[in-house]
Amino acid sequence: MAHSPVAVIDTQAQQERRFALALFAPAFVLLLLITTAPLVFLAWNSLQKLDMSMPWLSGFAGLGNYTKMGSDPRFWNSFTLTVIYTSSTVVLQVIIGLSLALLVLQIPRGQALLRVAAILPIVLAPVVVGLFWRTLVLAPDFGLVDLVTRALGLGSHNWLGDPQLALISVIAIHTWQWTPFAFLVLLATLATLPPDVYEAARLDRASAWQRFWHITLPLIRAAVVMVVILRTMTALSAFAAIFAATGGGPGTSTEILNLYAYRTSFTELNIGYGSALAMVLLTLTAFVSWLLFRRRSSPA
Amino acid sequence: MKPMPRQVILGVVAGLIVSVWAFPVLWALLTSFKTERDVLAYPPVFVFTPTLANYREVLFGPASILPNLRSSLVVTCSATALTMAFAIPAAYALARLRYPFKRFSGFYVLVTQMLPPVGLVIPYYLALQRLGALDTYSGMITIYLTFSLPFAIWLMVSYFEDVPYEMEEAALLDHAGRWGALWHVVLPQVRGGIAVTTVFVFLNAWNEFMFAVVLGGNTVRPVTVGMFNFISVEQTQWAKVAAGAMVAMAPVILLGLLAQKHIVKGLTVGAVKGGGRR
Repeated sequence: MAHSPVAVIDTQAQQERRFALALFAPAFVLLLLITTAPLVFLAWNSLQKLDMSMPWLSGFAGLGNYTKMGSDPRFWNSFTLTVIYTSSTVVLQVIIGLSLALLVLQIPRGQALLRVAAILPIVLAPVVVGLFWRTLVLAPDFGLVDLVTRALGLGSHNWLGDPQLALISVIAIHTWQWTPFAFLVLLATLATLPPDVYEAARLDRASAWQRFWHITLPLIRAAVVMVVILRTMTALSAFAAIFAATGGGPGTSTEILNLYAYRTSFTELNIGYGSALAMVLLTLTAFVSWLLFRRRSSPA
Repeated sequence: MKPMPRQVILGVVAGLIVSVWAFPVLWALLTSFKTERDVLAYPPVFVFTPTLANYREVLFGPASILPNLRSSLVVTCSATALTMAFAIPAAYALARLRYPFKRFSGFYVLVTQMLPPVGLVIPYYLALQRLGALDTYSGMITIYLTFSLPFAIWLMVSYFEDVPYEMEEAALLDHAGRWGALWHVVLPQVRGGIAVTTVFVFLNAWNEFMFAVVLGGNTVRPVTVGMFNFISVEQTQWAKVAAGAMVAMAPVILLGLLAQKHIVKGLTVGAVKGGGRR
């Protein structure tokens, strides 16, 4: 009875705060050390001339690495490829994934088998997927795709060796691997929609298309946006599958920003410029996620 | 019976989907039992004398991936254990407790999850080089935490949010203390969530490639890098790559299939909840 009620509540709140900090602080400090500190170091390096093949030239470069990009056609190429690669793979994944989910929802049996098949690509390492496609699926003459095109009389193609086909191929690889994600998430979301809304719409003689556009889509909008956000992040940091399938080539025809930064830093050993390229990718990622998150919180 | 043709069409389409996703994997499985000559037969052979020679080569040959498997096991298990040890308490605080700068700290965790890996691997390379820690387990495990920790925190938050408040309140009134309530009441409730999160963290870490290829070497050489043991400038040994991939991916495929239902739930819990939280 020594404490007044207010004091009791106060110490409880304090106690909760202390407890929360004890639980959260270790992870927070660790994240600061392992993610934020390296990023500061990255930003610092992006202002340096740091070429490991010419270490005697190292020194502070100011914004030199960034101004250099303006007149670097390889940078603009990789930037454009990043935009094409990201937007096309995300759009394809959402459209194919959503169509499949709508379709599969009407199949009474066999959904379990479909889910198993859909999980396979997701759990495979992207580098293994890239290797599978490079050898078994897309290799000229003996790959699965060439077997089909040859059987159809369309002839054999160098799917990963021809610059234009190579870009389409790496987009196809990424879409193949990650569409199941969109499919599974959207299928689960669709399965939770209340059936009575559709009954009412059917009584009102709404067409299938109207039902989809005016009922289904608004209801699953949040899930679609979330899929878009997650898939965009994955596409922007895609690396291993392209590395394994084309290595960014032929030439620079599949060299998205991620691969350009990697090649510059670790193949050409120009770490200063590579850091600046990574900073651009970082900024691009931050900008895109800001756009998407704003979209998520705004009404339809 | 009007719906019959419609159902047949749906069935055919579903069959096509299954094959598009499953066929490359099954084809690789088939290839792993072929001789290198059968691999390059045209037209392709479906009936052939299966051989285990590729697996023998992959496991016990001069370019064996057994050391790579060992590397992967050490890195992945250590990273997973550390991740969970840090993520579970942090997620509980984020999901349940009131403390200053809570919104900011949640946002911070979310942002660290979105960092492009190439932006981390460059400074890590320079730092580890100066510390003489390239190609060491401690260096590799540290950088693996950068993607697994934020992910695990957010996934665990969604599981903690599902635990009814009343249970904790009852435990607190019983003078169990905050630690007691967390340990004896809340944690048993999220056992499933912990299992799912652990599986996801393990999968992601096992499949990682960029960090492994840049920061690894002869000592730490995870199995994703080991895939290139059978690829040289002169030739790619398809059947051995396929066999190696089967061995390397067996753990994740098995985990994926075993935890199938939970994986679907895991994917959706994060996505749907995140989508609903405005």
